[in-house]
Amino acid sequence: MEIPRRRFLGLVAAGAAAVVGAPLLKGVLPATAGERPKARYALIIDTTKCTGCGACIEACRLRNHLPEGVSYIRRIVKGNDRKPWFLMIQCQHCANPPCATVCPTNATYRREDGVVLIDERLCVGCKYCMQACPYQARVYDEERGVADKCWLCLPWVLGGGLPACVEACIPGARLFGRTDDPESEVAQLIASGRAKPLHPEFGTEPSILYYIIEE
Amino acid sequence: MQTAWGWLPAIYLFLGGMGAGALIIAATFEFYGKRYQYDFCPTTLVGATVPGPLVILGTILLIFDLGAGLREPWRILYMFTHFSSVMTWGVWLLTFFIPVSLIYGFLESVDTFPAAREWLKARRWLRWTRFLWNLPLRRTKRVFAGIGVVLALGVAIYTGILLSAVGPAIPFWSTRVLPFIPVPMMPLLFLVSALSTGIGLTVDLVGTLTVGFMEHRVKSLPWIHMAFIGVETLLVGLLLITALVDGGSAAQSAREIVAGTHAVVFWVLIIIPGFVYPFVVHAYAAGLGRHSLASGVGSGVGIVVAGLFLRYLILVSGIPAAL
Ligand code: SF4
Ligand code: SF4
Repeated sequence: MEIPRRRFLGLVAAGAAAVVGAPLLKGVLPATAGERPKARYALIIDTTKCTGCGACIEACRLRNHLPEGVSYIRRIVKGNDRKPWFLMIQCQHCANPPCATVCPTNATYRREDGVVLIDERLCVGCKYCMQACPYQARVYDEERGVADKCWLCLPWVLGGGLPACVEACIPGARLFGRTDDPESEVAQLIASGRAKPLHPEFGTEPSILYYIIEE
Repeated sequence: MQTAWGWLPAIYLFLGGMGAGALIIAATFEFYGKRYQYDFCPTTLVGATVPGPLVILGTILLIFDLGAGLREPWRILYMFTHFSSVMTWGVWLLTFFIPVSLIYGFLESVDTFPAAREWLKARRWLRWTRFLWNLPLRRTKRVFAGIGVVLALGVAIYTGILLSAVGPAIPFWSTRVLPFIPVPMMPLLFLVSALSTGIGLTVDLVGTLTVGFMEHRVKSLPWIHMAFIGVETLLVGLLLITALVDGGSAAQSAREIVAGTHAVVFWVLIIIPGFVYPFVVHAYAAGLGRHSLASGVGSGVGIVVAGLFLRYLILVSGIPAAL
């Protein structure tokens, strides 16, 4: 009885070591962090100008042919009753996107230019990405059974146009531009340090930045 | 409250955990020789044979929870490809766990029922398998039991890592063991709960129903089981306390569990049937040296039900971080 017992304990120890070791190893090994290319685009939302009208929500819905009541942008009311202000949330196009880390199929990925996309031919609709996105920026496409989210209107942007939300914003609270051009307005705002990421403690390094007056 | 994952993933997490736990118990009986004290050991037999079917059922439920992956099943193959995803680890673990546990269950069955073995051996259409029967049955069985234990530990632990890996998105799921120890609680809690439901199923329920197990076999089992319940109580307590200390939406989850929307599930369907009743009854059984039908079957069913609702509770009480 002695030998099998020892072998059993050894197996248990090896199994435990493998299971405990894997995540530790992941933390120790250099992740993609080092060679992560810089995001080329930035969207800066000025919450001091945003009136919370929701024109961006509707424009997004129309351009992306989303069903009634669904949009890649949602509105959170902040502040108090006397002085409310509005936080518009969409995919933050994180440089370190947890949605892509947890996606089992590689459907979610980050492009070289920083835009995070979903390859819907690969997506199985497991919704793990929706759980892992700390900004709850993803929606589920019931019809096709896949995850969906803001794609920064990439085809329009690549063609020299603007994301629908930026075009639609009535008070001009949305500023979109290239970060690799130091002359651009977004690059200057970022350099001034006034535009800040939402919840930097998440460690996601978003490309969408906000200009918020601290209360 | 997160709504993306509901009952199907909860049942899957539970079945995976209980299957893994049952296999570990069977293998423990095997390696410590308890299996051979008598000709017929229902705990080992059930512990070896049910994990395969349980985990297969869980996997089917999981597939039914998919969207495009259900309509176009070949997409499931893509789930094997992305190793930074804990879900990919899980898919691989299941792929190995299912056949290994099925083989272990089969070998345990033919070892328990020699007549079945002879019957299979005598089948002409199974003649091509004859070389397999020349293998030393018990040693082969032990090899599969050993591999099964390693995979079972993996399955039980990964179901917890699956949740804790979402990190800051759902703070309650990534609650640490203690506020200052950077080890997530869920994998630990899910492992202990898996073992506990495994014991509940194979020892309390099956053991009492078949041979009144406690009477003559493993006298220390009720004590071991009480220790498990004690550890699990401690872990659940620590989880709630750490979540409360963390504040924010983790604390909100803990408050909803203890005294909010989920309080009934927590106290009535988890704490009483899965912790209080089995603990009291096991203390009584340990003193008496045997289980009555009500104590054995009662705590077995209670522990299994509580294990299911614990998974469900942890899923539904996950609240996304406030922005
Ligand atoms: S905001 Fe969410 S969905 Fe968008 S890249 Fe970041 S984690 Fe992914
Ligand atoms: S739902 Fe699709 S994109 Fe999201 S994690 Fe699952 S496979 Fe990846």
